[in-house]
Amino acid sequence: MSVRRQGTILFAAVLALVATAVVIQLWLLTVSMEALLSGEFKTLVPAAAGSTLLLAVNAGLLRYVFHFDRDAHGE
Amino acid sequence: MNTDFEQHGCTGCQQTPQWRQDFPIEWEGDHYVSRREMVKFLTLGSLLLAGANWVTALASRFLHRGSRAERFIGLASSLDQTRSMLFRYPTDQDPCLAVRTPEGKLVAYSQVCTHLSCAVIYDKAQNGLFCPCHHGLFNLEGQPVAGPPTRPLPRVQLEQRGDRIYAVGMEG
Repeated sequence: MSVRRQGTILFAAVLALVATAVVIQLWLLTVSMEALLSGEFKTLVPAAAGSTLLLAVNAGLLRYVFHFDRDAHGE
Repeated sequence: MNTDFEQHGCTGCQQTPQWRQDFPIEWEGDHYVSRREMVKFLTLGSLLLAGANWVTALASRFLHRGSRAERFIGLASSLDQTRSMLFRYPTDQDPCLAVRTPEGKLVAYSQVCTHLSCAVIYDKAQNGLFCPCHHGLFNLEGQPVAGPPTRPLPRVQLEQRGDRIYAVGMEG
């Protein structure tokens, strides 16, 4: 299997993970907005922290994609 | 019918046809690049969503701070006669209701029902705050006890100084 084909499959898997994380972030934002408008402030900071954690996971996966891409071009 | 190409061959392009020179990208390469770019795009979206979540969290701090202003709402002696009193807090657009409970305790809540924002009224017979729109009922702790509301009424913090009652903050 060529490196490029491996990369295509790998990127598809990473894309599925990142898309799932983004959907969870969208849900967190919706819940936060609802909590803000109903005056329930206690959940807002944990929701923002959770969203940041998902961002960190996404950034890590993107970094991995960049590394793979650089290595693939190096070959 | 033989074409000119079949008769003479493709001189100068036996290795690579013209269409291949014009469109040199393989499907494999196209998928590789488009998925890589989509990961970048979604990570950027993830950054924006995380930012929006923090903006929401910070906005709550400002809203909370804004509700700490102090405001005179009325006299305790007049409340003792009527048992309930309407006032506005923290702004003139926020109707609230103060009640002297049968035990003599002074409590106050937002008058906006947490179901569909109708105005709740003090009901002496049921000893609670009644919403006439959909027959919701809150007890004098602000908790919903009957009807469609599921969330408690926001409580107004009060301070009594002599005969004067002040609203000093909002809870929840």
